Amino acid sequence: MKCRGIIYLGISVLFAGCDPFEYHPYDTRLDKRYKNINAKNIERILASDKNADTVRFVFMGDTQRWYDETEDFVKDVNRRNEVDFVIHGGDISDFGMKKEFCWVHDIMNKLKVPYIALIGNHDHLGTGGEIYEAMYGELNFSFIYSGIKFLCLNTNALEFDYATPVPDFDFLKQQLRDTLSYKQTIATMHAEPGDVVFNNNVKDVFHEYLKRFKNLKFCVHAHAHRLMEDDIFGDGVIYYGSDAMGHRNYLLFTVTKENYECEVVYF
Amino acid sequence: MSVKWSIFNRNSYKDLIAGLLLLVIAIPEGYAQNRQEKQLERYKAGWERLIPCYEKIQYAGSMGVISLGIGWDYGKKKQWETDLFLGYLPRFDGKSGHATITLKENYIPWKIGIGESHWRVEPLTVSLYMNKIFGDEFWSREPDKYPDGYYGLATNLRFNLAFGQRIDFKIKPVGLSNRISLFYEFATNDLYIISCFCNKYLKITDIFNLSLGLKFQFL
Repeated sequence: MKCRGIIYLGISVLFAGCDPFEYHPYDTRLDKRYKNINAKNIERILASDKNADTVRFVFMGDTQRWYDETEDFVKDVNRRNEVDFVIHGGDISDFGMKKEFCWVHDIMNKLKVPYIALIGNHDHLGTGGEIYEAMYGELNFSFIYSGIKFLCLNTNALEFDYATPVPDFDFLKQQLRDTLSYKQTIATMHAEPGDVVFNNNVKDVFHEYLKRFKNLKFCVHAHAHRLMEDDIFGDGVIYYGSDAMGHRNYLLFTVTKENYECEVVYF
Repeated sequence: MSVKWSIFNRNSYKDLIAGLLLLVIAIPEGYAQNRQEKQLERYKAGWERLIPCYEKIQYAGSMGVISLGIGWDYGKKKQWETDLFLGYLPRFDGKSGHATITLKENYIPWKIGIGESHWRVEPLTVSLYMNKIFGDEFWSREPDKYPDGYYGLATNLRFNLAFGQRIDFKIKPVGLSNRISLFYEFATNDLYIISCFCNKYLKITDIFNLSLGLKFQFL
């Protein structure tokens, strides 16, 4: 018994509490602290909602293999006091491996404000999609903060076959049923309409559906690894593209009842 | 011409000449039988080399929760080993379990006996191994739906590097085995190395993982 105790102690000291064993890079065994992150953090976001006139949130791009840069990003956002929450635009991982998701969460978890993450096309590699679902939750979700409905949509159609609808119009229809509890809408996604990852056969329909939501302010996406600002459908609804972490910048949105501002912040 | 020469080693070439000569000169029956026996022996010895020298069972190691393997050792001091493992990865929080297969090459430079005892220490093992995981969501070549070279990796194949140690002792024969080794290894893979190389954030302890195993020696 004593001997076993010493061995356990030795192993736990060596690894400072982490699990030293790995069954496979694509195994889906997750510690409790890595589960249901979006649900837990949305709860925190809603709890902090003071129904203020001004909402400030950060939309960040792909983290993939840019751990150092993501650490600097977190430090930079933590220096600001006015940010309500952060949205990760997807491509959390580069190869869909469990450790990558965990490494990114370990860094992002140091943010003073809650963060939520969308799924990116890289996050589907191997069992990445299953890992995302276990870690973050549903691929399509929404929440309402200070009267703004945030739609968080899976647009990575290239990673699925026709058995899974991407984008999911049923989800959008169901979301459209609620007409009372919000006043404005912001749509967020990983891949933007027109990109090879998007199902471009339905991009116009997708956009029309988004416009059915109350007062669609703008859409924002990640994926392209460059800053973008496009009126893709020529109707004044702007799709903003957030750059990758590797290029050391992010988007800071300030939304008021009447207006909004998009600022590029370099760090 | 040189291609043909390389097919036969010197001895078998001599055998062939001798055989042809014997066909021309009348063949004494006894000699032929003797020759056939020798050939048969050589044939059997060739196949016998394929009989695994040991079996292994390993916990973790990026090839499943539990892997069972067979293997062969060779070299002057049996410092080389080739293992073939079958592993199983349960579904955990995902959708399905997966089988994996591993081809592993080990190098064991030193085997140090402890006095007169039955114990022996192998202070360093270096291993390279290739693991393939089976399942619809994995591929070695990107499916055609992707633009060429979109991801540029084989999701079902990982190349691993491991360092470990072993302790080995003689036992009263249990079944076929009369030597058991206990071993542990720290292993990492190609993608972790790439990630670690580009980021100060990742420490060497982040990318190396522990595994434990047993080896039962037969031959």
